[in-house]
Amino acid sequence: MKVLILTSGVPFVRGGAEILADSLQGALCAAGHEAEIVTIPFQSCPPSRIPEQMLACRLLDVTETCGIRIDRVIGLKFPAYLVRHPHKVMWLLHQHRTAYELWEHPAAGDLIHYADGRVVREAIRRVDRGLIPEAKAIYTLSRNVSQRLRRYSGIDSEPLYNPPANATLFYKGPARDYFFFPSRINPLKRQWLVIQALALCREPVQVRFAGEADNEAQQIECMKTVRELRVSDRVEWLGVVSEERKRECYANSVGVIFPPVDEDYGYVTLEAMLSSKPVITCADSGGPLEFVTDSQTGLIAEATPQSLAERMDALWADRPGAAAMGEAGRQRYQDLKISWENVVDKLLC
Amino acid sequence: MLKINWFSPLLPAHSGIAYYAAQILPILASRHEVIAWTDQEQVAPDLSGIVQVASYHRDNPPWRALNDADVSIYHLGNQGAIHGGIWQVSRQHAGIVVLHDLCLHDFFAMVFLRLQENPEAYLGALERWYGPQGRHAGEAFRTGGIGAEAMAQRFPLTREAVWGALGVITHSRRALEDLGENPACPTAVLDFPYAATEESRYRGWMTARAAAPGPPYRLVVFGYLGRNRRLGTVLAALAGLRERDQFRLDICGQLWDESHIRLEIERLGLSSLVNLYGFLQDEQVERELSTAHLAINLRYPSMGEASLSQVQFWDYGLPTLVARTGWYASLPEEATAFVRPEREIEDIQAHLRAFLADPGVYRAMGERGRQSLKNHDPEKYVDAMAQFASTALASAPHLSALELARGIGDDLSQWLHPAASSYLVERVSREICALAEGETGTLDGE
Repeated sequence: MKVLILTSGVPFVRGGAEILADSLQGALCAAGHEAEIVTIPFQSCPPSRIPEQMLACRLLDVTETCGIRIDRVIGLKFPAYLVRHPHKVMWLLHQHRTAYELWEHPAAGDLIHYADGRVVREAIRRVDRGLIPEAKAIYTLSRNVSQRLRRYSGIDSEPLYNPPANATLFYKGPARDYFFFPSRINPLKRQWLVIQALALCREPVQVRFAGEADNEAQQIECMKTVRELRVSDRVEWLGVVSEERKRECYANSVGVIFPPVDEDYGYVTLEAMLSSKPVITCADSGGPLEFVTDSQTGLIAEATPQSLAERMDALWADRPGAAAMGEAGRQRYQDLKISWENVVDKLLC
Repeated sequence: MLKINWFSPLLPAHSGIAYYAAQILPILASRHEVIAWTDQEQVAPDLSGIVQVASYHRDNPPWRALNDADVSIYHLGNQGAIHGGIWQVSRQHAGIVVLHDLCLHDFFAMVFLRLQENPEAYLGALERWYGPQGRHAGEAFRTGGIGAEAMAQRFPLTREAVWGALGVITHSRRALEDLGENPACPTAVLDFPYAATEESRYRGWMTARAAAPGPPYRLVVFGYLGRNRRLGTVLAALAGLRERDQFRLDICGQLWDESHIRLEIERLGLSSLVNLYGFLQDEQVERELSTAHLAINLRYPSMGEASLSQVQFWDYGLPTLVARTGWYASLPEEATAFVRPEREIEDIQAHLRAFLADPGVYRAMGERGRQSLKNHDPEKYVDAMAQFASTALASAPHLSALELARGIGDDLSQWLHPAASSYLVERVSREICALAEGETGTLDGE
């Protein structure tokens, strides 16, 4: 089959969605298909540009190229998934989140701050409601994304999990005295919450953060919070780390902390499970909750510093328990049979 | 229940719309969640007990908070200083516009030329809606070649005021149609709201009027008395009436040029028949209107506005002479005595003579006016306004689609000859419709 992967992105910015598109392309090719990625440059500011980009996507014709038929297109991201094709399948990574669950979010909400924000939000919602169902099948990245699609757009879909990149390379090592928290540093990932919790911990908990900040101001703000709460000696900032170093950090941690706001999916959870490590997450963290069962494969806290601190203390103090939960996590991952082969089979069937 | 942003002058602003708002807001707030936004320095303290009052700055409106509401309702009239900020927000944040005046040239002349000192914006607006002719007239207006009244009638700029609105509410269908300025968005015509005074009090007024049956009969002119209120014509008509001694004329309200009117009264020999009272307090208004026999409520040229004074006259059961123009022309024939603008003096005198011949005919006219107030029930008005807002919101996608189509159409017309672009135009139109409707079409060959 000739398959096009339709996604959108911000030029010069590379994140999880780009890695996923690459991985999907690789999996399709490995399965004997020809696959290309079509990335639509997306600009969300000012919002008045968004309907124009929706229209631009709608006007693209990818039914064939130079007389060769495109057999299947796979829509991943807004507004690229609006491109028409008679054999389009959706694998929705997420909708345009600030038109939905992040509309009012104090840090992430952007449309809401513009005069025409509400009008554009309604246009996005209407188009999603009307045009996503034109796909022959609708899959999503996770149950969380499916639930949002149902809640906001009234559309049923099936979650289709995929493995993290290089899933086979994760391993388990001896637990040393730190929790690991790999993620981009931004308000949605809530490094701040962990720092505040750290200040309330009774155990001598240590946390290693890996990843870079979305912008310098956020990094500075983070550092400032650490100083103000006097937890500098219990925090380590690793910055951007190599994949190898990341796996090592997972392998040697007591556990992984991952308390984002309503995460779509969350590879961090899966990577922790592959490393046989328990995950501490929050009740409003979205995607991780599909994999973490409280007191079995990790701990679920309320999204408050106090609640999170209690869970961090508990896991820190109970190393055998932590190890057992880590093993249970690894087993849970295997039971789910998450594989690219399964993803490709579903998307092309 | 809707969450509503309300933008209007608020008391103590000197504006009839502020009184209108004081009447409407308590009812609206009892049924919906309302925030009254204001850029006034002062707001009547008792208002904040009725609705949430919040401040905004026209140059930096609080979009975050405004976006929380389902709909914004903007009230526009001709006072540039009072409505300028409201219009500025309405242009950026689409909502329902309630037009209290329909000819808004004066407003835009004030906003663009005086407040913003931006003549190009003024001329651009005229050109946008009336082509080069509009621009040329605007240039002439700036140099004194055309007067404000002529500009208001020929180039009312109503569409400029409602450009991009989700919906428009007026108080007169005919006045809007006469202007030929129908907006692209949905419109609703609602009867100007007025809560009639309770019947027992009305009967008391009737008794007071019956106690002073006349002659002499008391005529009253009332309200904000600008140039278009035809005072000079009224005085001339009275002066030319042989039976003039059987009337007294009370002029109540702020005059645009008091010294001129005083001179006219003297020149026409009417000093013993005409009284100038200036602005009246509420209790004085009640005394005046409950004992008057006939109200004269002429406006020409009309800015298309509904008249609070008119419904007040009807509340007191007062028969009224009105010009057959603008909103007034749509008033019920059986409750109103019309004056043709082109034959004002003749018609005024004819009505005064007819009144002398049979005051009962006019008294009955006033009674019917009073009965007609049931159509002006503020509660019904509020419900109709909210219903219209919901309807307009439902059709908002079409307006967004039109805006998108206009922009794309402009681009396409730059690139391609119309004959060559039919396929593209058709394709784009179809896709814009699909986006607006949220509906799937079919691809060619599918």
